[in-house]
Amino acid sequence: MSHSDSIWPCSQPANRSAIALVIIDMQIDFCMPGGWIDQLGEDVSNTRSVIAPISRQLDFARAEGLVIAHTREGHQPDLSDLHTNKQWRTRVHGLGIGDRGATGRILVRGEPGWEIVPELAPLAGEIVIDKPGKSAFHATDLEQQLISRGVTHLVVTGVTSDCCVQSTIRDAFERGFECILLKDCTAAVETANHAATIEILEAYGGRWCRVMTAATFRAGLGGLNV
Amino acid sequence: MSDAAFPQVDAAPYAWPFDGAWSSADTALLLLGFQRQTVKLYDARAAVDHAAGVLAQCRTAGLTVVFSRQGRNGVLSPVAQRRGKVADPIPLRRSTAWQLVLEPLADEIIVDHRGDNAFYLTGLAETLRDRSIRNILVAGVPTDGLVHASMRAANDDGFECLAISDACRGTTMARHDAQLIITTFGNGLFGAVAPAATVISALSAYDKKDLLP
Repeated sequence: MSHSDSIWPCSQPANRSAIALVIIDMQIDFCMPGGWIDQLGEDVSNTRSVIAPISRQLDFARAEGLVIAHTREGHQPDLSDLHTNKQWRTRVHGLGIGDRGATGRILVRGEPGWEIVPELAPLAGEIVIDKPGKSAFHATDLEQQLISRGVTHLVVTGVTSDCCVQSTIRDAFERGFECILLKDCTAAVETANHAATIEILEAYGGRWCRVMTAATFRAGLGGLNV
Repeated sequence: MSDAAFPQVDAAPYAWPFDGAWSSADTALLLLGFQRQTVKLYDARAAVDHAAGVLAQCRTAGLTVVFSRQGRNGVLSPVAQRRGKVADPIPLRRSTAWQLVLEPLADEIIVDHRGDNAFYLTGLAETLRDRSIRNILVAGVPTDGLVHASMRAANDDGFECLAISDACRGTTMARHDAQLIITTFGNGLFGAVAPAATVISALSAYDKKDLLP
């Protein structure tokens, strides 16, 4: 495969193990009926719809020997890592971070709603990042875990595209990782915000990342002779 | 002089800051990337003028002021290489293109950064915390690049942020508008938004005798 055919924005990864599949915040509270977003009366059909495509992508990545990194947004039970404005903004909706809902305390580590959906459960040896912020790089060791495994390129999936996915891709770009966003493996609660996020991230022919379907990525990876 | 305390700003989606109180002692104005190249590239003269109006009022009221400059050195980092390939080059430090279009005063902070985030590898969060800053007014260019990336980083760091809508300019108007809608989604996932006139109105509404020596 010549460079101009490359699926990556700028440079090719040296081998498959230099690529990480990053699955952001596919947690019950964000994606499932009965979870936090659903309890707020919001529609989780968008976020739920990407579970199956991400599951197929995860199976593929495991078979191909890609590095796998899962993230979970959540806070310490004493909420010592929760900023007061973040909690206030969520409590305006009637059920805020740290409050007790139908799936336990909202976005608190160890609670039922905070768990990753069973279809995408991490396997032993895969990276699992507990993040208190929107960006998976904020106040975590994700960058170090990726570097220590020789990862240079990221394939990003998960929810929500306008929030934590966008923050993570921006921070990954800033840190020198090349990113691909799989558009059929990410979603937002509001479809308009999802579409705007995709348009901004792939502006100028891939300003922050390339955007493609999972099928295009899987076909493109076949050109990597390692 | 004493600290000037201000009324909440009539912002979207909530009156800013969230906890009601803000003053010249705990609030900074962050002017992001108002440099010759970016102002010209994105036709951001009107945003500069709005930012200058807010800056003048912040100086009168005694707020901390921070100017950020995006720049690269002679050796192209991977990020600078990629930005060059997508026709969005990072200016060379000390070149004319890199110069600020608003002039900092001697006691104001200048932060140099290599990419799209004024908080990344600059120590800016610590600098602000050392001065007891909790709230940040944000202006700059482009809205969907440096401004939003920096605001996301500040928000993750716990700063209460307000984007001054007409003191920012996007790479397109559609991206500018969309990025500010995303900012305010979910009761302000990344903070609040208000135009310069509304911010200036709040900044002007303090008791002038507070500033007497």
